[in-house]
Amino acid sequence: MTAKIKEFPGISLSEQDFTDGKILFNFDKLNGIYAWDTGVGIGSYLASLKAGVILGSHCPNCRKIVVPPRTFCEFCYRPMDEFVPLNDSGTVNTFSLCYVTWDVKRIKQPEIPAVIDIDGASPLHGIMHMLGEIDPKKVKIGMRVKAVWKPAEERQGSINDILYFKPIKEV
Amino acid sequence: MTLLQRDPKAPASWQGELPVTNRYTYGLAGEKFFRTIKDEGHILGTHCPHCDHTYVPAAAFCERCLRKLDEWVDVGTIGDVVTYTFLYVSLDGSPLEKPEIVAFIRFGDGGLIHRLGEIEPDQVEIGLMVEAVFKPKSKRIGSILDIKHFSPVKI
Repeated sequence: MTAKIKEFPGISLSEQDFTDGKILFNFDKLNGIYAWDTGVGIGSYLASLKAGVILGSHCPNCRKIVVPPRTFCEFCYRPMDEFVPLNDSGTVNTFSLCYVTWDVKRIKQPEIPAVIDIDGASPLHGIMHMLGEIDPKKVKIGMRVKAVWKPAEERQGSINDILYFKPIKEV
Repeated sequence: MTLLQRDPKAPASWQGELPVTNRYTYGLAGEKFFRTIKDEGHILGTHCPHCDHTYVPAAAFCERCLRKLDEWVDVGTIGDVVTYTFLYVSLDGSPLEKPEIVAFIRFGDGGLIHRLGEIEPDQVEIGLMVEAVFKPKSKRIGSILDIKHFSPVKI
């Protein structure tokens, strides 16, 4: 609101007005089905997540190991030579405390998305995931964390096969 | 050796669905227009005395002089076919044996686009007088489909 405008023009509606039938409306659902080709690199990454391994790829020219694996080196454009299995532990590079869900609902207990530099990959090469089993106030950059996996039979080749990362040391 | 082989065990594609939904409210004039269809089975328009123009479906403002419109007129349920087309393909792309007939039906100085029913395709012609056939009141939800179709006026 500004000094001039005390109230927005128009009629505001509440969710109750819709459920009570006070207002007529048309509901529509768009067909938003998609399929995204995983390709060689990400396909292998997802397959190895199902097997419980975080996969990277190695460029012998740059001596870099990147995660998730790419088939081409993004630094020298040379084709990568090999996949490298990495450890399922790492270091928190950065994090955030998130008090809204993806569909913008307020939550009391924050979700903690973080970028985790995976052990075995080159420095500052990591993946984004969630932190869990931790007091939000005690999360720190540089903290050592380890992946908590879904039970093997429930994994389906998805980044969510890792439930979250939890601190290695009790905090 | 470079990485060229796809992992046969890897998922070939990642599948998902974007949750895109929308809720469209009809606005001040549209609310009254559809409410009247639902509750009374009448088609309403608004008249602009300055331009002598009757808007159907009802509009809240005159498109020509931008005046606010509050003169509501019942335009009845009978109108004439201005133009029509036969649809031999259904919404999902499958062919139709019997065509669906869609027409623009004049009411006031405007009109509605709707289906024609209870009529053979070769009987349809421009200028044909058609009447709105409403669904039973209990099944109306406040939508243009509360009108089942338009059928020729029986004399």
